[in-house]
Amino acid sequence: MITNETLIKVEALQKSFGKIEVLKGIDTEIKKGEVVCIIGPSGSGKSTFLRCLNLLEEPTGGKIIFDGAEITDPKTNINLHRQKMGMVFQQFNLFPHMTVLKNMTISPIKVLGLSKTEAEERAMKLLERVGLADRANSYPSQLSGGQKQRVAIVRALCMQPEVMLFDEPTSALDPEMVGEVLEVMKSLAHEGMTMAVVTHEMGFAREVADRVFFIDEGIIMEEGNPQELFTNPKSPRLQDFLSKVI
Amino acid sequence: MEVWFQKFKSEFILNFIDDNRWEWIVQGLKNTLIITFFATLIGIAIGVVIAIIRSTYDKNYDTMKKNKGISFYLLSFFNFICKIYLTVIRGTPVVVQLLIMYFIILASSNSELFIAILAFGINSGAYVAEIFRSGIMSIDKGQFEAGRSLGFNYIQTMIYVVVPQMFKIVLPTLCNEFIVLLKETSIAGYVGIVDLTKAGDLIRGRTFSAFMPLIAVAIIYLAIVMLFTWLVGKLERRLRNSDH
Repeated sequence: MITNETLIKVEALQKSFGKIEVLKGIDTEIKKGEVVCIIGPSGSGKSTFLRCLNLLEEPTGGKIIFDGAEITDPKTNINLHRQKMGMVFQQFNLFPHMTVLKNMTISPIKVLGLSKTEAEERAMKLLERVGLADRANSYPSQLSGGQKQRVAIVRALCMQPEVMLFDEPTSALDPEMVGEVLEVMKSLAHEGMTMAVVTHEMGFAREVADRVFFIDEGIIMEEGNPQELFTNPKSPRLQDFLSKVI
Repeated sequence: MEVWFQKFKSEFILNFIDDNRWEWIVQGLKNTLIITFFATLIGIAIGVVIAIIRSTYDKNYDTMKKNKGISFYLLSFFNFICKIYLTVIRGTPVVVQLLIMYFIILASSNSELFIAILAFGINSGAYVAEIFRSGIMSIDKGQFEAGRSLGFNYIQTMIYVVVPQMFKIVLPTLCNEFIVLLKETSIAGYVGIVDLTKAGDLIRGRTFSAFMPLIAVAIIYLAIVMLFTWLVGKLERRLRNSDH
């Protein structure tokens, strides 16, 4: 599924919160169709890295080039690029005052200019795919955690993005609901969606990822294909981390 | 008992029936409701705008300060104006504001009702602004982020995501502000408007009987407030549909 076309290029990315330096210079690129999993201890900067990719956090240094455009340039209209980057949050962040269908269609209608019927058709297809078509008119508060996260995923997909960013999508879920969300993500990966996933699900990373980043102390300390990285970690930090989580 | 009832009846006729004095009450009630209604609309309009300016400034101060763009200076300027408005309006009595509006700022206007609507609207706007701002600040940061990540710009995120949720949160406090405003309009008599309170007082001046007109006025205010509270209660229950 991986192509040779670079979708996201990151150069010397830095991010500080006040005096605390969270990202100390990250260089990497993500190819079209590639699934990248980002692992690392808490506080290592992996979520910050992901949130920098669509500029929810504004980097303090370095460059991000997405689809040929330097989005870190203040002159770039970031809203145009965010349309093409779907994001799924740990806390779902569904809009509580809208039904599931409205959650999914509001942005295609208001931002992409789709008609209500077009947007609803698109949304219903996606809902069917994740087995939630019967919940289209429910409010988020009526759904279980796993259902909420599946809705959040299809809400992002409804914009037909070029890349999906997942920020610990299963960390706020009850254990028995993790599987249903991972299933959706797996099928998405098999379809060739470009994905960047911050996760603690090592099984998922091992099975689905094309490449795994181990971020620690604000840098990518080690990266590689999952087999190699999980079975034969080189840096002592990663060996230590893996011994604790697996 | 018989005697008491007879007295009540004659008092009632004296105060409300003779010379069609009840018409004053009706006219007064009409003016009170007109002033309250339009002042509320003005208050909400001012409140939304100021709350958005102030919360945008507070939320984005750090990032914008670094970039020092034109929007930062513009926003700082507007924020400063808003702060002056809030300080002046909340720092002075509404009667004084009404008199200033009547005798100084709009001295050339001859529509007392319009002056009163404007004065009460501007006054209410300051309080509503702070109510809305607290509502906006209480909305989870994740809601902003979700809106932005779907390609909304800042204003769209406010309109579609934040403000609707804010209204639901602030509804009880907003209802309270409406009640305060309704009763505050009872000072409209200061600028020659016959509002409900003034109407009762005019009748008292004619009949030299204070009990009947003043109690009637009090009961009407009470009835409006109770009716309104009931309506808002119904609205709240409807809005709660989305969080079972």
